[in-house]
Amino acid sequence: MKVLLFHIGRDRYGLPLAGIVRVLPLLELKQLPLTPDYVAGLMDLHGTPVPVIDLSRLAGLPAAAAQFDTRIVIVDYRAAGGATHALGLLASQVRGIADIDPQQLEDSGVATAPFLGQVASDADGIVQLVELAHLLPPDVRALLFQDASAA
Amino acid sequence: MFKDLSIKNKLYLGFGSIVAIILILLGVAYNSFSRLSEANAWDRHTMEVLVEIDKIHNSILQIQVETRGYILTGNETSLTPETDEAAVLSQLTQKAIAMTADNKVQSERFRKIDQLTSTWGKEWINPLIEKRRALGNAPGATETVARLLPPAGSPGLVQANKLLDEVAAEESRLLAERTATTAKLQETMLLTLALGGLLCVVLALGISYLLGRSILGPLNNLTDAVGRIAGGEQNARAAILSRDELGKVTEEFNRMAQTIQDNQANELAATNSLRAKVDSLLEVVSKAASGDLTGKVSITGSDAIGQLGNGLAKMFENLRSLLNNVQKAGIQVTTSATEIAASARQQEATGIEQAQTSVEILSTTKEISANTSQLLKTMEDATAVADYTTNATAEAQNNLKRMDSTMQHMVSATDSINAKLAALSEKASNINSVLITITKVADQTNILSLNAAIEAEKAGEAGRGFSVVATEIRRLADQTSVSTWDIEQMLKEMQSAVSASVMGMDKFSEEIRRSVGEVRQVAEQLSSVMDQVQKLTPQFDAVLQGMQSQAIGASQISDTMMQLNDATQQTVESLKATSEAVHQLQYAAGDLQSSVSTFAVNI
Repeated sequence: MKVLLFHIGRDRYGLPLAGIVRVLPLLELKQLPLTPDYVAGLMDLHGTPVPVIDLSRLAGLPAAAAQFDTRIVIVDYRAAGGATHALGLLASQVRGIADIDPQQLEDSGVATAPFLGQVASDADGIVQLVELAHLLPPDVRALLFQDASAA
Repeated sequence: MFKDLSIKNKLYLGFGSIVAIILILLGVAYNSFSRLSEANAWDRHTMEVLVEIDKIHNSILQIQVETRGYILTGNETSLTPETDEAAVLSQLTQKAIAMTADNKVQSERFRKIDQLTSTWGKEWINPLIEKRRALGNAPGATETVARLLPPAGSPGLVQANKLLDEVAAEESRLLAERTATTAKLQETMLLTLALGGLLCVVLALGISYLLGRSILGPLNNLTDAVGRIAGGEQNARAAILSRDELGKVTEEFNRMAQTIQDNQANELAATNSLRAKVDSLLEVVSKAASGDLTGKVSITGSDAIGQLGNGLAKMFENLRSLLNNVQKAGIQVTTSATEIAASARQQEATGIEQAQTSVEILSTTKEISANTSQLLKTMEDATAVADYTTNATAEAQNNLKRMDSTMQHMVSATDSINAKLAALSEKASNINSVLITITKVADQTNILSLNAAIEAEKAGEAGRGFSVVATEIRRLADQTSVSTWDIEQMLKEMQSAVSASVMGMDKFSEEIRRSVGEVRQVAEQLSSVMDQVQKLTPQFDAVLQGMQSQAIGASQISDTMMQLNDATQQTVESLKATSEAVHQLQYAAGDLQSSVSTFAVNI
């Protein structure tokens, strides 16, 4: 299973390639008032507005610094209703693609943030997978994708 | 009262007291001794009575023994020993009665004993003997007679023995009593002797001390007074402490001391009056000796002192008239000598003044000559220095010109370096912009590779090969990024080095510009100095020539002045000799006058 590697704080996390649409450089974002602080803003993807979530803020850490390898990863976010939406994730230190053997994946066994899943070890340390399905709590999801819930 | 006694009486009284005390002590001791010996005699008497009692007892026992012997044996020899025991017993008893004549009770007892024993002899002993004799040598005679004897002895004898014991007990009691009395007497006597002896010694010592004091006190007093008179204290007297012989001696001594003091006072008064006269004469004479002849002799008369006064008065009168004449002559001589000395002194002063003036002129001339020579030398040195300065200045000017041109070259070189550095900085900026482009491209490539990998993954098996290519592209992009970053760092370092160099060069060229200005200024100053120095040299030469001629003139003046000075010195010497002679004359006249003037002649 191939994953895109990035950092939240000092730790490495993996996002499965299957869920990723595109990787984009850091763009100017429109601020979204009255949303939780981990919602970084709204971006323009070929004329379509896409909300962007700051993964560092989501994990309870300070906002990711804007560096040369800070990227916006566009993913297909599958809402509860089954509708798919494009969602931007602000990830720092995007280092590349890694191939993880599914055999090595283990449950972390620790009740942590809901979007963090199984873990695997390699030469550089532990990589924890990010589960897109549990990324947003229902109220935020309702806040961000009102069209879908209405539809 | 004791003080009024004579020494003889004092001695008699003292020693008599001691003898009396000793006699009293002896009397007491004798009394004690006689009482003691009496007590002892009584002791002995009691002992003798006791011995008598023992003898009486013995005699009774002897009679009993003889009787029993005869009764047992019937032998007559037993009854007739050498002594008649009955008579002995009677004698002893009589003696005991005689001995105890002083004690009625005892002598009564002894009389009773005598009666009882004589009764016992008659009533018991003699009948027994008669019976035994009558029985003769008949068998059982002994038993027969023996049975006649009472079992407890004859009552008379028992009574006699009892009385004897009583007497003995009485005597023993008396003995004990008397012995106690004797011991007490002895003790008393010892005590008396010891206390009496001690008292005797103490009294004797006291009397001796009193005697000694009463004799030695006045003697010491007298000795003290004698010592004080000998030491010069004439009014010292001894106090009269007693009215004995020593008191009289002290009184006589005091009178003698008074007489001596009176005599000495009289003598002193006579001496003083004589001394006053002599002193008055001496005063006049000593005044005359110190030169004052105005003293008047007031002592006249016909005695030795008066005649001496008259003679002295006449002698003083003669001396006064003589000295008056001498004084007048002396004053005249002194006046003349003083006048001569004054004129000589004036002449000498003039000569000395002249000599001093010529010496001053000479020294001034010499100084001028020396100064001129020194000045000449200094001028020569100055000329040489001026020449040297001219040459050195010219050389320095040439050097400065060369330095100036070198500085100019340096300024132009610095300017060209600055221009080149600016070009370098611009180039570096260009490179930087290129690098930014490259970085952007690399970043884009990186994203592209990521997206390519994602697409390849989505394509599944068909995209496998593409995935490899995407990975490769990403690797290239990473390498480009790293290299670009390196180049960027180097470029930054280069740019900072270039800007530091530019700044350094700017500072350097500024310094050089300032130096050039300073060098130019120095060169200008030097050339003006050189002009001045070159103008100086001919002036120095003119001064030098003038100085040389002046020096020659000064030395000539100096020589002439030397000759003049010598002549003046000689004049002054001769004037001094004259002055000295006049001085001596003046001193002589002065001496004469002062000698005479010490005598005061006016009355």
